[in-house]
This record gives sequence, structure tokens and C-alpha cells, in this order.
Amino acid sequence: VAFGIASLAAARHNPSGAFAAGSLIGGIAELAAGWSIVAAGLLFLLRHAGNRLGLVLTAAGLAWFLPEWSNPGIGTALGFTVGLVGFVACPPLAGHAALAYPTGRLRSFLDVVALATSYGGALLLLGLLPAAVFDPRGTGCLDCPRNLVLTTADNGLFHTFNLYGLWVGIGWLIALGALLVWRAVRSRHAAALLLPVLVPATAYLALVAWDFQHSLARGILSNDSFDRRMWLLESAALIAFAFGVAMPLFRERRARASVAHFVVELSQMATRGGVRDMLAQTLGDPTLELVYRRSDTDGFVDALGHALDPEPGLGRTVTPLLRGNATIAALVHDVLLLDQPGLLQEVLAAARIAVENEQLQAEVRAQLEELRYSRARIVETGDSVRRRLERDLHDGAQQRLIALSYDLRLLQVAAEANSHPEVTALLTSAGNEAQTAISELRELAHGIYPAVLAEAGLAPALETLADDAPLPLELRDVTQERHSAPVETAAYMAVAEAVQDATERAASFVSVRVSREAGRLLVAVRDDGIDRSAPLLHLSDRVGALGGSLDVGPKSLRAEIPCG
Amino acid sequence: MRVVVADDVMLTREGIVRLLRDSGVDVVAEAENADGLLRHVRLARPDAAIVDIRMPPTRTDEGLVAAQQIRSEQPNVGVLVLSQYVEPSYAMRLIEEHPERVGYLLKERVFDVAILIDALRRIADGETVIDPTIVSRLVGRRRREDRLGELTAREREVLHLLAEGLSNKAIAARLFVTERTVEAHVKQIFLKLRLDTNPESHRRVLAVLAYLRAGA
Repeated sequence: VAFGIASLAAARHNPSGAFAAGSLIGGIAELAAGWSIVAAGLLFLLRHAGNRLGLVLTAAGLAWFLPEWSNPGIGTALGFTVGLVGFVACPPLAGHAALAYPTGRLRSFLDVVALATSYGGALLLLGLLPAAVFDPRGTGCLDCPRNLVLTTADNGLFHTFNLYGLWVGIGWLIALGALLVWRAVRSRHAAALLLPVLVPATAYLALVAWDFQHSLARGILSNDSFDRRMWLLESAALIAFAFGVAMPLFRERRARASVAHFVVELSQMATRGGVRDMLAQTLGDPTLELVYRRSDTDGFVDALGHALDPEPGLGRTVTPLLRGNATIAALVHDVLLLDQPGLLQEVLAAARIAVENEQLQAEVRAQLEELRYSRARIVETGDSVRRRLERDLHDGAQQRLIALSYDLRLLQVAAEANSHPEVTALLTSAGNEAQTAISELRELAHGIYPAVLAEAGLAPALETLADDAPLPLELRDVTQERHSAPVETAAYMAVAEAVQDATERAASFVSVRVSREAGRLLVAVRDDGIDRSAPLLHLSDRVGALGGSLDVGPKSLRAEIPCG
Repeated sequence: MRVVVADDVMLTREGIVRLLRDSGVDVVAEAENADGLLRHVRLARPDAAIVDIRMPPTRTDEGLVAAQQIRSEQPNVGVLVLSQYVEPSYAMRLIEEHPERVGYLLKERVFDVAILIDALRRIADGETVIDPTIVSRLVGRRRREDRLGELTAREREVLHLLAEGLSNKAIAARLFVTERTVEAHVKQIFLKLRLDTNPESHRRVLAVLAYLRAGA
């Protein structure tokens, strides 16, 4: 503030040589532009200590006042000299701030080169070098303070430096402007954030370049009426620039408040994946993904517990969320969000509890899912073992017994022909034994696993179940569609167990319906026995393993099995 | 009588072949899979083919598929499917398309070679053969409203033989009655079971089996 008042005082002292030029509007414009930039810089420093951008901004704001210092009114030799050397320091500093916005870091080598040239052009070619050969008193300014960097006064050289400085100045101003325009064009998602900063900065640089061009004819930067009009416009551009920088700082605070509001909402209604939606909305990145790390396996899962890999695509990056030193989640988002580190930090800090909460839920869901898979695997393994056993019995033991019975028969015929009645009788009885063994083996194999189920499907298998059932088994509307082996086996077992259960409860009949509705196989069984007392645990395990549900009533049973 | 035998298990195949040869049946070829069977049937043009239901590669129902192919390609060649399953659905699948000159017997039935020879002869005569065990199971099936209860003991006997695929003449011979009597019984049975009283003769086995299966 003092800086500004001192500058204004200097300007007032010599209206003819100053931009503020003694008019009220000029004074207000000068102070408003310089102070707003300084304020934005200080605010930025306050919010993001350690981010160089705040310093650059503050410096730019202060440098804005310097041209007024090269006036006699400044009163001190040091101030006067600084004014002489630094009177065009503001454009490169403002350009720097705009290029480095908002991280404080320059993004490319090109940026660095352009800025180095700008600083050199402004501080050396238009600053130190002409100042070193400029003797203000020698040129008629008798009340000017002493020029501390003066070596030898050389008016010719002074003009040469200034002329070249202007030419070069137009060059670096255009270069800086072009870099800013290029950034603005590429800004995409972050446009809302970057454009309010880049547009005024570019306008400011363009105005300065125009003024340089105007000054070429004169060979020196000065303050005729055109310059003053340009200068007023530059003030306006800088004020807009300052607002562009400051607004997001307020917005971060608002974002934090809105996240906090969301967090309260989330705690009240448990929507899976709600945190992701909230973050995507608040950060303005609709493609944002939130993945959670499982503390037991170190794998990543989504909010529903499905395993996945945080794979950043083109132009995307992964930001880990830590608890202590451990990653609990990761955000896959647009790279450009990194340009708003403050926003990202604030939002994640506010969402922290919600994220941790959802991470725990996701982990539990993932474990449940695995448990279900392992149950399904156990059931499937059991079934395939039964199926193999059934095949082995049919293709191995039973075939051998059948072959043996044929041989016994041949022997029996031979014994009869050779009239050995005792041997014949023995062989007949052995043959009958073999026949009985074959029948029993067949029953056993069928009990282990009904081959017809795998080969012909659920409907024929249930028909056979009805053929053998000890009580009437009415099959009504049994779908003829085929389903996967685990689904058909589960449905078959449900009916088979229900029939056995009904028999034990002295039912006189069992009625069965099997239909397919909305991707689920519905098995409904009803009987007229006495009320059921024990639950069918084994069955509910089997159906549950397939992600289905079993509803057991006193005389009824209803299984719903997902069948794709 | 000339037959081709197909069974992938050598032990049982040879057992069948020896039993058949012992009884004077001319086994003209042996096959261990469905392709071999079809080739031999085309070349040898036997009276009948004896086919195991389970053969490579999947060991499920290759025999049934081959049997149906033989029946549609060579109407004069009968097919007897030997199975280890008391499975009416397989038997019905076999006779659905070509109900004549086919049979479904349990493998161990071959032990009584007379039954095997009889089955082959009936198949050659154009009849259908269904294993009595399967028929017993279907007839014995529990039903809530059992119309079979309206049948007399004699009618039940006739129904059983009908389901096994015997012709009226064969039933008459089996029960020592005249063919006219059997005709009268069959008419009564079809009336009581509310079945179409006049199906094509070779379709009546299917009608009876379907009725028994439906169980209503």
C-alpha cells in the first residue's frame, strides 16, 4: 500500500512526466491495477505457501508502480534508479505469472527461454543498459535525483539501446502472448479455470506490445496521450488478470464447503459410488474414476468391490489418497486437474471421511464377492466330482459287470451242453447275482448324478425323477430351455430335496413349476404334507452359491437362480 | 439274420458278439464308434444294427443319434439301442421320429440271449421294442388321479405289452387269447385312458408311453 502511495505521490509531483498524470481516474486506475495484482499475489501466497506464483504476482504488482519512480518526485536516488532500471519489469513478470499459473512451475523449455529473453530484454536492454548511459540532469531534468548506475552519459547510445530494446521487446511480448494463446487453446477441461487468467494477461501483453510499436517512431518509451490511453487499458487488463487469479481461490473454499455438504448427505444415504459422483461433479471431470485399495490383497476395487486396475489413459493421471503412509484409494482423473492443486487438495481433504468409509465398504464387498465365488467353486467342484464318479461307474465297473455276465451266460450254455447240472445251477445263480449288481450299480450311479440331467436337461431329468418318486410328482410348466450345468443341477437338487422332504412329511403329492423370468430360473415346489420344521440348509447353500435366493415356507419352497 | 454290432468297450462288444454267434446270428461287422457303425451299415446292409448308446467322442448319446440316422437313411435296417440307463426319455426320443423297426433294451437284458434274439426278430418284423423295466417303471409311476386304476388286471397286462411295443398278434400269443380279444382290450384301454382310439398302429406305442409319462 505504501508502495502505491509513494508511487502516486511521485507521479503527482511531476504530472507531465507521469502516467497517473494528475487525473483522478489515472490515480485510481494506477492504484487499482497495482494493488489488485499485489493482493491476488499475497492471497495466493497465503493459500499456497511454497508456490512461487504468489511471489511472482506480488512482484508484478509492485513492478507496475515502477515507471512512476523514474520521476523526479520520487525524491531518493535509489528509488529513482530502480525506477529507471525496472520501468518495464511488469510485462515479463505478468507474463511469467500467467505462464506459470496455477502451479508456479513453468511447463516447457520454450516457456523458460521466452521468459529469460523477456527478463533480459526488459531489465537489461530497456533497463540497466540505457540507464547506465543516461544522465537525467544532463538532459535537462534538474530536480531529478542522482542516477546511481550512470557510468558515462552517452545520449546516442541511450537511444540506440532503447530502439533495439523496443524492437526486441515487441518480439518477446509477441512470443509470450503466443505461448499464452497456445495454452488457452489447449486448456480443454480446465478452460473455465485458465481462460479468466490467460485472456487478460494476453490482452495486457498485447497492449504493451502495441505501445512499444507506437514508441518505435519516437525511439523511446514515453507518455504521450496515446500512451496514456494504452496505459489505462493496461490497468483494466491487469485488474481483470488479478480477478482471474483470485476467483478460484474463493472457489476452492466454496468447493470445500460443497464437498462437506455432500459428505453429510452421503452419511445419510448409502449410495454405492456416491463419492465418485460427488468428486466428479465438484472437480468438473465427468470421466473421473475413484478406485479403492484393499488392505488385505493390495489390489484395487471399485465401490461395488469389483477388482480393477487403475489404468490412466491418454491425458489422464493417477493421484493416490493416503492414510498415513498407506494408499487407501486412487483417483484417476484428467491431467489438467493438476493445474488446480489447491482445488484437488481441498476437495480430497473434505471428502476424506467419505472416501475412507466407502473404501471399507468396497473392501467388505470385494471379500463377500470372493466368498460367493469360492462357495460356487466348492459346489461346482463337488458336482463335477459326482459327475465323474457317475461316468466311471457306468463306463468302468458296470461295463465289466455286464461283460462278466455275458461270459457267465456263455459258460452256462456250455455247461448245459456238457450236462453238468450242478455247474449250470451255480453259473445261473452267479449270472443272476451279476444282474442284481448291475441294477444296484445303476441306481447308485443315478443317485450320485443323473446322467440325463447333463445330457438331456432339466425337464427330462425331472420326468425321470417323477418316474421314480415314491409319491405323485406333478410337473407343471417345466421350461424346456437348457441352462448352465450349475444352474440345472441346483434346480434339480431343489426339486429332489423337496420331494424327499415332502415324503418324510407324509405328503400325498408334490407339485413343481420351473419357469424362466427376467434372467432368473424360478423353481416353485408345493406339497400337502404336515408343516416343515427344519430349514433346508444344504439347499440354501447351493442356491446361495450361485447368487440366488431360497424361500422356504411350511409346505412350499421357492428358489430363484440367476441364469443369465 | 445278419447284424452289425457297435460298442466302444471291447469286453462287452465281444461278449455280445459271442452270445449272438452262439445263437446262430450272423455278425457281419463290429464297430467301436458311430462313424464306423454307419460305414459298416452302408456297406454290409444288415437286417439290424445293435448300438451302444454311449460311444466316443463325448460318451453321451452318440448311439441314439447314429440310430436315428440309420433309420432315416436305410428304412430297411432295424436298430436296437443297448443302454445302461432306465431312461424313458431316451427310449421315446428314439421312437419319436421312426417308431417302427427300433428297440431300446437295457444292456444286461442281453444276458438272456433269448430276449435279445426275440427283440431282433420283432424289430426285423417292423415292430417296436421297449425294455420291460422301463415300462414297469412308467406303469408303476405314482399319480394323483390315476386312470390306470380304472383298468382291469387283464387290461393292465395288455397295456404293459402294448407299451413294450408288441403287436396285437404277439400279445395274443403271449396271453394265450385270440387276436380279437386283444383288439377289444386295446379299445377299452384307449377309451378309459381317453386316448385317440385309432392311432396308426406303429404310433400307438408312442401314444401309450407319452400317456404313461405325462402321468396326469
